Amino acid sequence: MQPFIQFESVSKAFGPLTVVDNLDLGIAKGEFLSLLGPSGSGKTTILMMLAGFERPTSGTIHLGGKRIDHLPPHRRQMGVVFQNYALFPHMTVAENVAFPLRMQRLPRAEIDRRVERALDMVRLGALKDRRPSQLSGGQQQRVALTRALVFEPDVILMDEPLGALDKQLREHMQIEIRDLHRRLGLTIVFVTHDQTEALTMSDRIGVFNAGRIEQLDAPHAVYDTPRSRFVAQFIGETNLMEGRVAALEDATATVIVEGLPLRVRRTDGLALGQEVSLSLRPERIRLGADSVGGNLLPVTISDCVYHGDHMRVQLASGPLGLVARCERLAGDWAVGTPVTAGFDPADLTVLAR
Amino acid sequence: MSRATAGERSRAFLLVAPLLLFLAVFFLWPLGAMVTAAVSDEAVSTVMPRTAEAMADWDGAGLPPQPVQRALVEDLRAADDQQALGEAVRRLNSAVSGFRTLLTRTAGAARDAADPGAVSLPAVDPRWEQPRFWLALKAAVPRYTDRNLLAAVDLRRDADGAIVNADPEAAANRVIMARTFLVAATVTLACAAIGLPYAMLAAAATGWVRAALLMAVLLPLWTSLLVRTAAWFILLQNEGLINGALQAIGLIEEPLPLIFNRLGVVIAMTHVLLPFMVLPIYSVLLSVPRNLMPAAASMGAGPLRAFWHVLLPLSLPGLLSGSLLVFMVAIGYYITPALVGGAGDQMISSVIAFYATGTANWGMAGALGLILLTVTTLLYLVYGRLSRSPQLPGA
Amino acid sequence: MLRVLQTLFGLLAVAFLMLPILAILPLAFTSSVFLTYPIPSWSLRWFEELATADAWRMSIVNSLIVGAGATVLSTLLGTLAALGLRGRVLPLAGVFRTLFLLPMVVPAVVLGVGMQIFLARLGLGSSYTGVILAHTVLCVPFVVVSVSASLQGIDPTVERAAMSLGAPPATVFRLVTLPLALPGVVSGAVFAFATSLDEVVITLFVAGPNQRTLARQMFSSIRENISPTVAAAALLLIVGTLCLAGLAALLRRRDKRLIAASAP
Repeated sequence: MQPFIQFESVSKAFGPLTVVDNLDLGIAKGEFLSLLGPSGSGKTTILMMLAGFERPTSGTIHLGGKRIDHLPPHRRQMGVVFQNYALFPHMTVAENVAFPLRMQRLPRAEIDRRVERALDMVRLGALKDRRPSQLSGGQQQRVALTRALVFEPDVILMDEPLGALDKQLREHMQIEIRDLHRRLGLTIVFVTHDQTEALTMSDRIGVFNAGRIEQLDAPHAVYDTPRSRFVAQFIGETNLMEGRVAALEDATATVIVEGLPLRVRRTDGLALGQEVSLSLRPERIRLGADSVGGNLLPVTISDCVYHGDHMRVQLASGPLGLVARCERLAGDWAVGTPVTAGFDPADLTVLAR
Repeated sequence: MSRATAGERSRAFLLVAPLLLFLAVFFLWPLGAMVTAAVSDEAVSTVMPRTAEAMADWDGAGLPPQPVQRALVEDLRAADDQQALGEAVRRLNSAVSGFRTLLTRTAGAARDAADPGAVSLPAVDPRWEQPRFWLALKAAVPRYTDRNLLAAVDLRRDADGAIVNADPEAAANRVIMARTFLVAATVTLACAAIGLPYAMLAAAATGWVRAALLMAVLLPLWTSLLVRTAAWFILLQNEGLINGALQAIGLIEEPLPLIFNRLGVVIAMTHVLLPFMVLPIYSVLLSVPRNLMPAAASMGAGPLRAFWHVLLPLSLPGLLSGSLLVFMVAIGYYITPALVGGAGDQMISSVIAFYATGTANWGMAGALGLILLTVTTLLYLVYGRLSRSPQLPGA
Repeated sequence: MLRVLQTLFGLLAVAFLMLPILAILPLAFTSSVFLTYPIPSWSLRWFEELATADAWRMSIVNSLIVGAGATVLSTLLGTLAALGLRGRVLPLAGVFRTLFLLPMVVPAVVLGVGMQIFLARLGLGSSYTGVILAHTVLCVPFVVVSVSASLQGIDPTVERAAMSLGAPPATVFRLVTLPLALPGVVSGAVFAFATSLDEVVITLFVAGPNQRTLARQMFSSIRENISPTVAAAALLLIVGTLCLAGLAALLRRRDKRLIAASAP
């Protein structure tokens, strides 16, 4: 079945600079897709092409089987939530929310009814006669969201909508948006550079780098089995190690890293003598008495930092340095203490170099 | 971020076009008309087109050949616009006296002759055998001349066409230009002397003090220029507040001469232009972090040394653009010198106005105007380079 | 010591700036025919003179006619041009902008000479049309600057938002851009009117006796035969300009608040 939104070999160049490079991307109806990447990776340009503010240099975009890349923004039926909210400063909250309905030339009574219902849904009914300048950041954010939802568009596009909010409010709004997504069955394309936001909210995450998709997967797959060094490093913290495949067994393989043999899960295409990178999440390392698993390394503690809910422990084994993340340390392990570090072969992700 | 499409570009151009057209017609064209007036000299050439054409072939040595003389006779025969002919005669007579009678007689003879080719000019009037009349005619027939431009800087061409100094009794323009620059420079200095400390004070102040200091600058800026000049007129006159106060406290017996002289002009112009000095310096100083002076003090600099090494160098860009601005506006000033200055304080604008409205000498008005325009434009270009935005403060 | 000097300098400078303006105002109410202090007794006779003397009454009417004409024309032309200069759409926009601001810089006398020659050639010398056109040239830069500033304050994403919500370009302009730019347009118009009201030099060159404006009348009155009528006219101008400037400041503040709101 054809996806609801389909990018086919879409490229976008500003002069000599290629911002989006031959993108193929399908988005299903009702899906919450996050576009994640550092600034300049092309994720915002993709959103702007979908909304109609930018034209692709080449390639096509389809929505529900209809080609839309040549349509002007006002004929695309997409609700866009901007990073700075982009509320109309000269209109009240109610007038802001009524705007898209006025554009559809709905009868006055119907507009009033729908605005009222929409504002009540986000608990802003009491503020409907205020100007945006009289609202807090979170309230402005909710108005922007309501305005984008009220005309029941096919797709909601969000461009770093929570970037300007403080941490607590941001987490609250994340829950609110996820809740709306579930309740209304919305299709949402969400641009962010915040990996936590992407991990907690999305059905799928597209990780972008330099105009290309590095990986398009469910959040747990992006985190647990990154497919490239970029993804492994961009999402979460990781220990990256360089090594060479020294032996292949039935289900496992042995990779020599800094002279230490590490057992990894055997994957297709792994060849003897191949240079590989290994990614190991810090929280997968267990220390001391807890250390069980297919890999056990004698290490010494070189630093230990208290973070409240966890400890970050710097480990050294010869030239190899590792970071571990433990909920607590069993006993008082001062710097210099020798311990054992243990981790499963399944937790080592093999990345081609 | 996005490149403009052809449609957006043409839409933008359509929006700009009306003003572009308006200013081209009602701003650039008038300026062009002024420049043209300065360099054109059409009084003779409109009446004597054939002579003008024939003169081109004469090198100016001796007497002109026969075709020139014949062309002159034909032109005079054909001249039926008495007013235009009068203009031409006036123009020529001002170059060489005696031309009036010469031309009147010649024109009469030319009209009466049955065959224009048979008229012999020396026979009509022996003065046609003197080359100086022909040379003056040759100098007057081209449509364009540098006479006014040269006269604007007190130069003229002698009979041989070489550029020489004008007669001392006809030379006043250099003095006036020097005076214009002197007055403008004095006003600029006065503005800098008051404006720099004032801007520093305003930038260092906070709360209502700063607001009051700024208000005191902005309020005059918003007040009509004429009102301010009238106010100085009232203050400076012999029976005015200043003389009255000084006499009342017994400091002086007789009223000081404050008006209709250079002092009055400089005081009033300094008042009018002071905001143009204060505002650029103030805006530059605003971007200076407030803790720089304490920082300098913490490193052992006393207030004076901190001022000299920190605050003054930082305010120099503002001082420079403020000075340029004040000087640029000052050299074009007309109203204030005209109202509170004496005869010896008139600046170049007054002379231009005199030529234009007093004697209708458009050529001289245009030539002096061209000089003023050129100097102002150059200063503006420098100013635009120095300050980030080319717009004037207060606008 | 330094503080005392600073305070003294500040007070003297403020007095220098403010005293002339404050000194002229009470003289509008003098009963004497001289513009001198002390004022013998208070009277409104000079306002009466303004309202009844033909030369003064006509000049006030002329100022209003010319000011209104120049304001309407310059606001229209300047606003359109500022819209065209917006963004970096137009090639050579910098050159155009410089040209549009040039009338502020060219010495008034120079422009006056050119205008006089040019308008006479068009047959517009000593006509209301001529005076209005000449004043418009001087007023246009203020409108361009003011409207440009308020357009610059509009967050382009607000207009994008309107588009995404289904508004075609013309509607975006009508419902979003224009209302947000309006304070700039109004304060540009105010500056234009104030400029026209205060203009003397160009008027000196292009206006005939029938188009004498208030400023022009004040100029010749000061020059030839100064009377307290000038002070009364000055009071009128100051009050008028202050009201207009207050209006402009009020609108700018509103403008700023709106801008602050649209870009948190």
